[in-house]
Amino acid sequence: MKKIILLLLISLSLFSCEKDDICDASNATTPRLVIEFYDNSVATPTLKSVTNLKAVASGMQEGVVFNNSLPVTNPLRYLSNSNKIYLPLNPSGTTTTYSLKYDFGGAFENEDIVTYNYATQAVYVSRACGYKYLFNLTNTNTNILSVDSNNWIKNIMIAKPNLESENEVHIKMFF
Amino acid sequence: MKYILKCFFSLFLVLCSFFASAQKATVKDSTLTKKDSVKPKTERYGLRVGIDLSKLTRSFYEKDYKGLELVGDFKFTRKHYLAAEIGNENKTVDDDQLNFTTNGTYLKVGFDYNSYENWVGMNNMIYVGMRYGVSAFSQTLNSYSIYYANTYFPKPIIESGQKYDGLSAQWLEVVAGVKAEMFQNLYVGFSVRLNHLITNKTPDNFDNLYIPGFNRTYGGNFGAGFNYTISYFLPLYKKTLKNKENKTK
Repeated sequence: MKKIILLLLISLSLFSCEKDDICDASNATTPRLVIEFYDNSVATPTLKSVTNLKAVASGMQEGVVFNNSLPVTNPLRYLSNSNKIYLPLNPSGTTTTYSLKYDFGGAFENEDIVTYNYATQAVYVSRACGYKYLFNLTNTNTNILSVDSNNWIKNIMIAKPNLESENEVHIKMFF
Repeated sequence: MKYILKCFFSLFLVLCSFFASAQKATVKDSTLTKKDSVKPKTERYGLRVGIDLSKLTRSFYEKDYKGLELVGDFKFTRKHYLAAEIGNENKTVDDDQLNFTTNGTYLKVGFDYNSYENWVGMNNMIYVGMRYGVSAFSQTLNSYSIYYANTYFPKPIIESGQKYDGLSAQWLEVVAGVKAEMFQNLYVGFSVRLNHLITNKTPDNFDNLYIPGFNRTYGGNFGAGFNYTISYFLPLYKKTLKNKENKTK
């Protein structure tokens, strides 16, 4: 009997020291928009890497960080040379406009403006993480890109309008 | 800091239980010397009703909490008590990502087994017991912030106010505690409880993070609680102890 009480108290004491208020990074977060780049000059879809692409959302000073490992002072942090980029959508609104500068700082620098319209849906994750957003793009293939005299992006295709995770491709851009 | 405090408190509890068991031993010793009494002895049976002081005091000093719990037990054999708690809680929890209010009523019924050998006429207890608990409640999601691992955009805090009604939960509790007579028929008691959820009706797109009576929920089905009671014993009838029962003491 004494042992039972003692055991109970000890197990209780351990119990209350447990902390589950930290949102573990393994939880699925609000997804970013995943964009893949393709070569527009060939008929069969072929992935093609961009050159020094910089993405800045309207109203923001800094670009989206593409190379997290680089120090904050290094401007290469904000440039992508990959065939796939992740762009965050603004959770405070239903529209996010990005300036995508191809060959940033180079001889062929070219800025294209893309606008994403979307609806948000809050999905419960856990006590520690709270809610995440799922986005649902309301754009059509043709109204994402603002047409100017010299677009470096030739064609845009929405591959998956509902953003559920970052393990999928939402937008395909051909250039 | 809160967690360190909790740890200390738990440690204090463990130490208390050592105290209790030490005292029990000495009381036993002194009863041995009184074995030879010849008067016919009676045991008092009755209903003990009281209130949980911890919930009452928390209601005063915690602005996010209002709670009341009434407790009662009824002695039906020398060792066994029917026991019940009924209460109401209104608690607002402010976590990093969420702020919500839970409001509801609960009932717990079960039994206690007293392992303490009382002097004749006393009803002190060192007991273990079981409870079946049921709670009906509502939750209001006051506000939440968006979990966004990417830090490019500031995260909005959304004022929701969404209310989830008609929630319920059932659970089992294992109870261990003490009750001691301080003055004539007036008892103070303390108990700790380990809870295990059986059913839990959660709302769509939210969770029962706090259940009245059960307290805070964790990832799994387990929970914990305690109460600190003051109660009054209403003697209803007496039973004369048989000689055999006297001797075995």
